[in-house]
Amino acid sequence: MKLGYAIIYVKNVLETVTFYETAFGLTQRFMHESTLYAEMETGDTVLSFSAEEVIELDGLAFAPNEKSAIPAGWEICFITEDVQAAFEKALAAGCATVSKPHEVPWGQTISYVRDLNGCLVEIATPMNLEG
Amino acid sequence: MRLPDGYQERIYTPQQARSLEAVWRHEEPQAGRSLILPDGRCDVIVRYNADLDVVPRLVVTGPATQPYWVEFESGDRWIGVRLRPERGGVLWGDALARAKNQVALEEEAEALVPELAGLCVAGVSAKDLRQALVRFVEGRPLRPEGQRVGETVRRLHLTGGRFSVTELAARARCSTRHLNRMFVGKVGLSVKSYASLVQFHRALRLVCEAGGSLSDAAFEAGYADQAHMTRAMRRFGGFVPSDIPDDLIRPDVSGGLWGNRVAR
Repeated sequence: MKLGYAIIYVKNVLETVTFYETAFGLTQRFMHESTLYAEMETGDTVLSFSAEEVIELDGLAFAPNEKSAIPAGWEICFITEDVQAAFEKALAAGCATVSKPHEVPWGQTISYVRDLNGCLVEIATPMNLEG
Repeated sequence: MRLPDGYQERIYTPQQARSLEAVWRHEEPQAGRSLILPDGRCDVIVRYNADLDVVPRLVVTGPATQPYWVEFESGDRWIGVRLRPERGGVLWGDALARAKNQVALEEEAEALVPELAGLCVAGVSAKDLRQALVRFVEGRPLRPEGQRVGETVRRLHLTGGRFSVTELAARARCSTRHLNRMFVGKVGLSVKSYASLVQFHRALRLVCEAGGSLSDAAFEAGYADQAHMTRAMRRFGGFVPSDIPDDLIRPDVSGGLWGNRVAR
């Protein structure tokens, strides 16, 4: 098996795709004509957005992502050499700050924001495993 | 999802229609009876017959929390509009507070929606009925506050009815008391009652389709234990999890994009 997709359930797929393009510089690679599902260009492991409504069809249930609620216990992490610039770009696009860029003891610079749906997103420098 | 023969339904998204969730038609070739599971929604229905001399009858249902049986004759037909859970007031007005588990028939239904009284004449076509019902429901003015209740209904469906009233109120940014008052005013049921219905329907689905044990289903559905699930199934379906009727028609109550439900 391999990890194929990370799928985030959102209220509005179109708005989320536009937001991720503006805030994090991703590009869309697929949008279903129903606009209930979209994929971003993220390489072998695809970041996708799916409309929340479709889950009940499969008998699933979850706590929906919302700005007004505590975020779910997982995150999306974007890697960049210029964390400060990426962090500022994300805030300018409408992300809410949780933790501004700072260096951690193992050498990474990391920051946290919440996206338009309240999901936790980390922006960090690459981890140097050889360090 | 099991659907009876002779049943058709069209679901409307919130973008397509503000008050109606589905327009459905049903036809019974032979006399019989059918179990209808409660789904907490209101419908306006015209019941007629393949025999065009039979005068159609108007039916307005309140939000149901109990199972019931409907009996029918050969050739009976129904055409109905199901409203979004938070739009029951379109049919019942202020009487929604007393509409729980009520079914208004003929004169009583006509008193609630006098605009539709003229529809019930022998020989009226299905197309005319459908158009009149849709126009009436969508033409009714809305009252404010519906939005917040609509969001709460949505959260209840996404969580399978597992959010507490406290959590729902926090997400709606108001007090539990205020949320409940708004919810009862719009849906005709308490938040808790509606949540229990959503949880029941999901549990039913898990028991029938998840492929696990009854206790697995009870756990995933969010019941404290299997006994609680059994109690809910008795209350809302009139059966126990180990003995779900083979011919049970399980409605989809997802509240928007998807759904099927039997006629009454």
